[in-house]
Amino acid sequence: MPSIAFTVNGSRRDVQAPGDTPLLYVLRNELELSGPQFGCGLSQCGACSVLIDGKETRSCTLPVSRVAAKEVTTLEGLPGRWAGQHGLAVASIALHPVQQAWIDEQVPQCGFCQNGMMIKAAELLEQIPAPTVPQIKNAFMTGASPHLCRCGSYVAILDAVQHASMLIARQKGSQ
Amino acid sequence: MGATLSRRQFVKSGGALFVGFGLVGRNMFDVPAAAAAGSKNSLDAALASSWFEIHADNTMVLRTGKVDFGQTTAHTAYKQIVAEELNVPFEAITSVVMGDTDRTPDGGFSAGFLEYGGANIRKAAAYTYQALLDLAATKLGVAKSSLTVQDGVVSGGGRKISYGELVKGQELNLTIPVTGDLTSMFGLTVTGNPPMKPTSEYRIIGQSYKNSVTPSKVSARETWVTDVRLPGMLHGRVVHPKTLGSTLVKVGDLNKSRYPNAQLIVKGNLVGVVAPAEWEAIGAAQQVAADTQWSDWKGLPASTDLHRWMREEADWKTTPPAKGDKNKGDAASARHTAAKSLTATYELPFMKHAPIGPTIAVGDARADGSFYIHTHNQNPQALRGQIALMLGTPVDKVVVRIYSGPGHYGRSNGGNAGAEDEAILLSQAVKKPVRVQWMRPEDLQWSTSSPPAVSNIRIGWDASGRITAYEADHYMPAMQDDRLVGALLAKLPTPPAPDVTVPAGSISSTVNGISDPWIYERVPNVAETGYGTFQIGQKASPLGIGLRDHSMRTPGQLQQNFPRELAISEAAAQAGTDAIEFRLRQTDDARLRGVLTAVRDASGWQTRTSPSPRAAANGGTAVQGQGVSAMLRSGTYWACVCHVSVTPSTGKVKVDKYTIAVDPGIVVNPLQLKRTIEGGALMGLSHALYEEMTFDQSAITSRDWLSYPILTMDDVPEIKVVILPHPEVGAYGGGSEAANALAVSAIAAAFYDATGKTARRLPLKAAYVQSVLRT
Repeated sequence: MPSIAFTVNGSRRDVQAPGDTPLLYVLRNELELSGPQFGCGLSQCGACSVLIDGKETRSCTLPVSRVAAKEVTTLEGLPGRWAGQHGLAVASIALHPVQQAWIDEQVPQCGFCQNGMMIKAAELLEQIPAPTVPQIKNAFMTGASPHLCRCGSYVAILDAVQHASMLIARQKGSQ
Repeated sequence: MGATLSRRQFVKSGGALFVGFGLVGRNMFDVPAAAAAGSKNSLDAALASSWFEIHADNTMVLRTGKVDFGQTTAHTAYKQIVAEELNVPFEAITSVVMGDTDRTPDGGFSAGFLEYGGANIRKAAAYTYQALLDLAATKLGVAKSSLTVQDGVVSGGGRKISYGELVKGQELNLTIPVTGDLTSMFGLTVTGNPPMKPTSEYRIIGQSYKNSVTPSKVSARETWVTDVRLPGMLHGRVVHPKTLGSTLVKVGDLNKSRYPNAQLIVKGNLVGVVAPAEWEAIGAAQQVAADTQWSDWKGLPASTDLHRWMREEADWKTTPPAKGDKNKGDAASARHTAAKSLTATYELPFMKHAPIGPTIAVGDARADGSFYIHTHNQNPQALRGQIALMLGTPVDKVVVRIYSGPGHYGRSNGGNAGAEDEAILLSQAVKKPVRVQWMRPEDLQWSTSSPPAVSNIRIGWDASGRITAYEADHYMPAMQDDRLVGALLAKLPTPPAPDVTVPAGSISSTVNGISDPWIYERVPNVAETGYGTFQIGQKASPLGIGLRDHSMRTPGQLQQNFPRELAISEAAAQAGTDAIEFRLRQTDDARLRGVLTAVRDASGWQTRTSPSPRAAANGGTAVQGQGVSAMLRSGTYWACVCHVSVTPSTGKVKVDKYTIAVDPGIVVNPLQLKRTIEGGALMGLSHALYEEMTFDQSAITSRDWLSYPILTMDDVPEIKVVILPHPEVGAYGGGSEAANALAVSAIAAAFYDATGKTARRLPLKAAYVQSVLRT
């Protein structure tokens, strides 16, 4: 079995897996990262999203061979990513502002899709720190497919992305 | 039938009060004593399965057999109800255990959390409070009536003692009376009437506490059902038959050179593959599927022919019709003499529960003869009973453990989500734990569905716009198939398929009861009738499968409320009366009038007749409309207004604004109620605009999110939730359902308002909309 090396949440990892194995199964079963979820296996829902070199990507259809030498961030790695981008000690950051906003605004109902929703929100806010509502709505329609939520948490997501934007502005103001 | 307190043993350190239960009276359906005795293991394990534990440090554990799928009821409302009755801080309840059959007390379905489960937990807390007061009265040497309690500390005779100190150094067991059958659909019910806190003294109920599970879910610390890993566990996939009636002709050979670690398992028509690595199991299952031969079967009407088939060919005669409990007068005669009348037929499609994650479970058939199932299920005790039946083993050998999972809004409320039975059968075959996760197409094609409906509505009214006659004939196949699909495939025992008679401890009948409470009490003549039938294709299928149905959010009531409310809006239009004003004329019920006037005021409703003066059925310019609907569900009054835009040339329907008013009586948690209603509202938009399960004569053809689309962020309208607390009602009505069902008729009424054309079926997809606009 080939060995494939890439960076996951800031650490270099070598995995032994058939190269056609979708990244999702490697993350969940080999690296024990449970943030990304299996939703469709078809890149149609977004439950499995991760950031690859900062771009929201569906891990359920992406062969692991394609991430060689790339930088993967999962939900678990969002706090560390935030810390790294802002010159903060990783240990000092428990939650990315998006995760904090998801709690403050009580976004999840079942919560199964929220991994991809938070990954998409983090990607958006890195590009547009203060997005308008149409920009937020558009973000969740982009990528391989629209991001789907069966529980209808979309209104809460809109509230939370705006709240996260405010948290980010406040943190930047205090730095 | 009071509670009894006993002292089981002395413990040197710690100490705790355990609140367990004793079974009294007859079982709910008079099932043989053996059925209840089968639950003996749980009942005897009273300490482990107790409702509450109060520890020496004044913290508490709350245990409930209900499984909260995300509407936060167990993690907020139940904690609030218990904390309120016991006079402890909300934060004193540090742990909530849900659903595990060996660690929770009451069982029952996970729906009507406040109406049913809330009553149980409230009474259990009230009994516990009385027991604590008795302990304190003895300890402090004062009369019980002189005691006061604040934040878990009892005061009396000038002294104070905390609950924790009362139980310290001893192990006390409080037994409270219950009735019922643990592994039936309904579970156990707490009986008797302990004194309860007056609602006027509530301080914790009514506050917006946050869900204690949210932090772990957003930071990937939650143990989801998808995360369960057991030592030696294999990954399994099931090769489901080619059609809903195909039997196995010849199983394909497993290609061991490509999949060297995989194993093939065949049991009847159940074909499974297991492998240590998930990707190998998936590949091997696909390879075997491609090489397996199944018999052909064509026993279904295609979805394009569904409603004609239901009207003309389905058997509505074998099952006795159900009459509405508000039926009165002579509706048929009154309609014939009415000034004006409306007669119309309404149709709803099959819809899918469509959880974002497909069903998944880990089965662990252990060497000691016990069976553990790790899953996400809304009625774990009922599942436990069904697994025991399937395996031919005593129920006390089966344990179901519950984890967070994708919300499916009813699919496993007495039935199964799908993978549990298959996982345990594969585990039994290979003598190792097996994790079965369905793929996306299987989840849409092999799970139960929300049943379709046809309704004939006839309304007559007088010159003053008062309805004089309301007649409704509702037609819907059976909605509660509790049979395990893996057991059917493996030809193992299951509960009976829905039939004319109701099996003990279930509601699996073909009878189509009136599920939408009649709310317009001023109407003098009412005749509502429900006609039921067998599940479509089930009897014809050699597998006994066909199109299986199960309850989905606002079950049955959605199917009956859509035609009623849309027809009433149509009648209002024909009567030349504003649709809200028309409804207000039919009721003196202050709570119904309250939600209708509140939603009118909050939504920007234009009081006028329908259709809109600017209505148009052609052209490329969007036209706007408004529609209203109302409902009583689980003790809660609801009214909703939808504003829509329709572009006639493209057939595109967009919801611009959704406004809803809700009066649940006592509001337990306004924040969580609001979020749950918002989610329900958007699910309703999804039903109205997109959702229809398609099938041909053999199989379900909805297989992914392209062939079964649901609502996306692009479709999200402005949503306004108006909460109207009425604590004087003295009860807390439900809030998790209704919002979805209300949307569908309000959207269809708004479509009429915008275009002047009636769309009497859903979903409002472009091709159907354009066909309606051409009429």
